[in-house]
Amino acid sequence: MEEKYLICEDSLEGIFTGIYEAYALREGHEHVHIQIGEEENFRLFAVYLHIMPDPVKTEKVVQTLRSRLGEHVYHTLCRAAASCYPDKGEAVYRTVVDGLTAGSGRRVLGNFKNPYVARCFELARFTANEAHYEIEFIRFQELAPEKTGKSAVLFSRIGPKNNVVPFVMPHFADRLSIENFMVYDENRKLFGVHPAKEDWYLVSAGEEFTLKEPDLSEKEADYQELFRAFHRTIGIKSRENRKLQRQMCAYRYQDYMVEFAQKG
Amino acid sequence: MEVRIAPQTSIMEKLKILGEGAKYDVSCSSSGSFRKNDGQGIGNTVAAGLCHSFAADGRCISLLKILFTNECIYDCRYCVNRSSNDVPRASFTPDEVCELTMEFYRRNYIEGLFLSSGILYSPDYTMELLCETVHRLRTVYRFQGYIHVKAIPGADPFLIQRTGYLADRMSVNLEMATAEGLRAIAPNKHRKNILKPMRQIQNGIAENKNELTLYKHAPHFCEAGQSTQMVIGALPESDYQIMSVAENLYQKFSLKRVYYSAFVNVNEDRDLPALAGGPPLLREHRLYQADWLLRFYDFKVDELLTEDRPDFNTAIDPKADWAVRHLEQFPVEINRADYHMLLRIPGVGVKSAGRIIAARRFGSLTFDDLKKIGVVLKRALYFITCSGKMMYPTRLEENYIVRNLTYQNQMGRGEKLPFLPDGTSYRQMSLFDDNDFGRNWKAAGG
Repeated sequence: MEEKYLICEDSLEGIFTGIYEAYALREGHEHVHIQIGEEENFRLFAVYLHIMPDPVKTEKVVQTLRSRLGEHVYHTLCRAAASCYPDKGEAVYRTVVDGLTAGSGRRVLGNFKNPYVARCFELARFTANEAHYEIEFIRFQELAPEKTGKSAVLFSRIGPKNNVVPFVMPHFADRLSIENFMVYDENRKLFGVHPAKEDWYLVSAGEEFTLKEPDLSEKEADYQELFRAFHRTIGIKSRENRKLQRQMCAYRYQDYMVEFAQKG
Repeated sequence: MEVRIAPQTSIMEKLKILGEGAKYDVSCSSSGSFRKNDGQGIGNTVAAGLCHSFAADGRCISLLKILFTNECIYDCRYCVNRSSNDVPRASFTPDEVCELTMEFYRRNYIEGLFLSSGILYSPDYTMELLCETVHRLRTVYRFQGYIHVKAIPGADPFLIQRTGYLADRMSVNLEMATAEGLRAIAPNKHRKNILKPMRQIQNGIAENKNELTLYKHAPHFCEAGQSTQMVIGALPESDYQIMSVAENLYQKFSLKRVYYSAFVNVNEDRDLPALAGGPPLLREHRLYQADWLLRFYDFKVDELLTEDRPDFNTAIDPKADWAVRHLEQFPVEINRADYHMLLRIPGVGVKSAGRIIAARRFGSLTFDDLKKIGVVLKRALYFITCSGKMMYPTRLEENYIVRNLTYQNQMGRGEKLPFLPDGTSYRQMSLFDDNDFGRNWKAAGG
């Protein structure tokens, strides 16, 4: 039997469409694999199929996963699919197979003995942890109000490893429901946009997009300075422990936080 | 909303002075309360709490922790704001506190407000100011985030009651584990006055629970419960005394958290210890570890410490310490032990114990599976078997296990302590005092 590789787009839609097609082949799952992005090393005696993401097929897969594996498993699979590691497609696919076909059902995530389930758990945990850190460490800046006199807009720039914007937005959409705000993932050129009192949505800015340094409102610099002062004041000198600080808040987050920015 | 901050220098100065005054209060958690935004103002609360930044000492910054005023009529020896100290004094106005909170909050700098205060004129006067500030923040500014307010001992119960309906958490600091200690160190404070509001808040929360079952939309009273704090190392109390008090507070006062604060001699008071090695951080760390064992691992203080052994072992953590003294209960068979017993294995936490239970349904677990689940095998391996086998041939002997656990510490591979193994903390063993031992040994052995 020849190996079949389904080449999918690097997105939730891409992976879920891939899973749909893998089931549609009706050849069992032993020799079918999902690969994200480009094929790298061609294997001998392997067939490569390119899969275009399809919203209808994605929706069908989503419905099946939610009803048969439950919300918790579904959300975990979504988080794993947002990971930055390329083996996520295979891990998610094999976990779905374990749940739907091998029959572990809603308890599938407990099956640590299956290496793909364990990997899926690991990837989902990484995304969830990073999303949690971003929820904590995102710093909004107030943009200068436009001349039309529109209300204030809050803007934040982040550089996460995984695609966490979709997991970060619901938190802020609830918390800052009456504010206009944007979260910009500069590694994926992806905006999460929330207009005040409306639903949030994602906007992909495209490969060529470069962010201009935004104009800030008058008060913004003052509040940043106030918070920097507070941050300096609150630390206890005789307990100083930079290593612990770094451990709790890694440099890669600190780069985007006002209180760690050098003055000027 | 019109926001005025004028003059600019003064608010900056105030924030520095009043942040400085509040920083020795440990409590900074924003957990325990879960509230969605209602679309009328900003803010919500998250059950697990969020830390928004970390200060140079590695402690989390979750709340805007400030004093309302650092003027104080009391003269507590350990306190930086005591009346006999010559420090710059300042007070916020309620509006200044509200504006700072709102503007910090919407930029996601903080999770809410922690408002404490020195005693200005009288406890009643101070409590009224705090209550007024929080009331303004909730009603005029429509802030729905987390608010933690100190209950001032000796204030009118009515004021505390009123504040409790506006705040998520309230706290009264016990300061010292014993009543005699408190008398010696804080001449104006009395144990009785501290316990009174604590009891009042506890009863308020209990009554509120009944109201909420009857009326779904009844206002919440201190939804996130109450907490307290004890200073560690200012007086010669034993760990056993401190932990017993903590256990009592959890059981009899239904506290959510007890905080332990390593004593920092800010005033260089001659009656208080000088602490050449810095604040007793390792001791504080061990107390927190034990505190977790009480709250999440079903341990009792009497299991961990006794009158004859009143202090924690500095070399190994309280859980491992308990395990090596109860080797008759080990090794534990991972595939058969109940949840309660799994929790008692060093290297297994609440999460991994839950995962072990879930994963066992699919077949028996091996050491490899445990690793994936997140069990810390380098600590657990002395205490467990998988399908009747241990990971390596080891001896079930107290000395052997302790030696191995602490040896790993020396090699830099053992217990992760939240501070450096030199200078700021304690030497773990006098016998093995070479910190470079591991490195040298590696270099020599290849």
